[in-house]
Amino acid sequence: MSLQKLTLASSGLDVHYYRAGRGEPLLYLHHLIGIAGFEPALGKLAEHFDVIAPYAPGWGPAKDDLEKMDPGPLDLTLHFCDVLDALGVASAHVAGISIGGWMAAELAAIAPQRVQKLVLVNPLGLWLEEAPGEDPFAQHPGNPSEVLFADKASRKKYLVDGRNPLDALVEELLNLRAGAKFLWPIPDTGVKRRLPRIKAQTLVVTSEHDAIVPAAAYGAAWQSAIPGAKLARLAGAGHLAELEQPERFAALVTEFVASDRVAAVA
Amino acid sequence: MKFHWFNLMPWPYLPDDFTEKHRSVWVDVDSRLFDARKANRVYNDYLDLLEFAEDQGYDGLGINEHHQNAYGMMPSPQLMAATLARRTREASILLLGQSIALYDPPTRVAEEMAMIDCISGGRLISGFPVGSSMDDNYACGVNPATLREKYHEAHDLIRRAWSDPDVFAWNGKHYKMRYVNLWPRPIQNPPPIWVPGGGSVETWDFCAKHQYNYSYLSFTGYIRGAQLMEGFWRRMEELGAEFNPYQAAFAQQICVAETDAEAQRLYEKHARYFFSRCLHVYPGFADAPGYRTEATLRAGLATQMAGQSSALNQAASLSWQEMIDKGYIVAGSPDSVLEQMTRVATSLKVGHLVCLLHFGDMPNELCRYSTEMLATRVLPKLRPLWSEYEDHWSPKPMPRDDRAVPRAVTDKRGSAPATTHPVAAEAREVRS
Repeated sequence: MSLQKLTLASSGLDVHYYRAGRGEPLLYLHHLIGIAGFEPALGKLAEHFDVIAPYAPGWGPAKDDLEKMDPGPLDLTLHFCDVLDALGVASAHVAGISIGGWMAAELAAIAPQRVQKLVLVNPLGLWLEEAPGEDPFAQHPGNPSEVLFADKASRKKYLVDGRNPLDALVEELLNLRAGAKFLWPIPDTGVKRRLPRIKAQTLVVTSEHDAIVPAAAYGAAWQSAIPGAKLARLAGAGHLAELEQPERFAALVTEFVASDRVAAVA
Repeated sequence: MKFHWFNLMPWPYLPDDFTEKHRSVWVDVDSRLFDARKANRVYNDYLDLLEFAEDQGYDGLGINEHHQNAYGMMPSPQLMAATLARRTREASILLLGQSIALYDPPTRVAEEMAMIDCISGGRLISGFPVGSSMDDNYACGVNPATLREKYHEAHDLIRRAWSDPDVFAWNGKHYKMRYVNLWPRPIQNPPPIWVPGGGSVETWDFCAKHQYNYSYLSFTGYIRGAQLMEGFWRRMEELGAEFNPYQAAFAQQICVAETDAEAQRLYEKHARYFFSRCLHVYPGFADAPGYRTEATLRAGLATQMAGQSSALNQAASLSWQEMIDKGYIVAGSPDSVLEQMTRVATSLKVGHLVCLLHFGDMPNELCRYSTEMLATRVLPKLRPLWSEYEDHWSPKPMPRDDRAVPRAVTDKRGSAPATTHPVAAEAREVRS
């Protein structure tokens, strides 16, 4: 599956995205480190959905668009509305992980008519003083995202192997830079005030070994702020659950979105 | 050649087991190691040393800015500059510098520097560092993704605030001010601007564009510094700048005694305190994502910087002679130091040397000895270096005779019973 590109008439920004599969559209919003190619998790989701996975402005091939974004939610939300417009999608299911979970929640709160069902996996964007978690932006610069994985060997396996190590490290740091723009120095985005506006049926997922977003505290906080939200837990997973556990990640999203038996998931 | 006396102002009471018990000297350093009553003496000792350096004929007195840092106790170098402006008469005040992106509005920096320049009679050198990631991003919370944008905008705003005689509106991306109108303004227009840097290509280009002095403040010494400075001079040549050694400054740890053996006996333990305890920084605070530009990362300088930090880690385990041979410190008898400093100046081609004569937990009297030895036995022989070039990066103060003379400190209140003003005495009688 190759990366596609289109240019948005409204903003002039180029959108780099993967699109695969058939069925109802599902917008996937990526985590702090972007998208590591057409990932296995995307392949699994594409067995059930028309999956649309764009790089957010600032990440990967869109790195130079970071300076055009305000750090708040509005520019990003309008951008994703533009992306859906450009692809002729009136509304979609939305699954976001990590910072993508924040972006998905903002989209659902600010433009509720564009979001069918919503899945937030290990979302960033809330801050609980009693459960700060590890600082994703204060890690060893030679090994900056190791803390995001449950297994320490995963960073090398998913982000470095098969690539020029300098290129891989530079891209990793630039992707973290993009995350920092929206979350520095504390990931309190103000989304908490907007979460009650969400109309979509929502599943909040946290991961057992997420060092950045402690599962119990943040699962409860997101669930209680979103009307009617359900809660699930990925056992054994870290912050980047979709890389380390693609099947279980995709199964959780698919089961919730494809099924009307919402209660069964919780 | 010009020589500046610079003090980082380290906390001299870090315990022997500091590196084992604590992860960082910076950002999250344990505040329980600080003692404000001891700091009363520490600050005054350090200021005494700076004033002593003025007496010894150093060209400039150097101070800088760090936050939440136990080896650099100057969150506000402006405060230090203010007291030096009153208590010294001749030396440049080398404010190297103020991290301008930390201040909103940045005109506050322009105002304070103007005040210092006025009080000192035009002796200010204004340093405009981007600032370290530890200071800017971690200690002060500035976003690394926009730090450099803010830095450049703050720079442009300060320069215009100093020079535009009219009220103007500033509608920037990061700062918006409807009425910018600086009062007071500096005597020098502008004061010489020095840009401390750690080797980013963008900083070199910035210095070339504005004809600013580039100051490489390294703790790993002149032998490692030579490679970086070579890159700087090559870049300046590429950009068509005419070579002038005074456009560059370099910081070097130096200590002088009667003999090489005496230097080791007197200074080694203080050098070790500096290299092991003062530079014990948690790597996760070294380099916030976005702090360096992609170009700098790509140029491989990040790799070099990573090499440098490990070089710093190595310093603590080197023998004294290795520390000298590898250039971490310049040390020894006046003859030895002269020979080493000649190599510093000529290999780096710098006209300004920032002499780090106090390091670690060095006591005051020992530092005064080293300061005087360098000033009297070494520097006179080095001063003629680069005399064929004109120094455009030193202050141009008002003529000495035109400058105000501060009132001397009399200590009348401390040494004699306080006299009571008649009106106050009368008031007391009425109350009783």
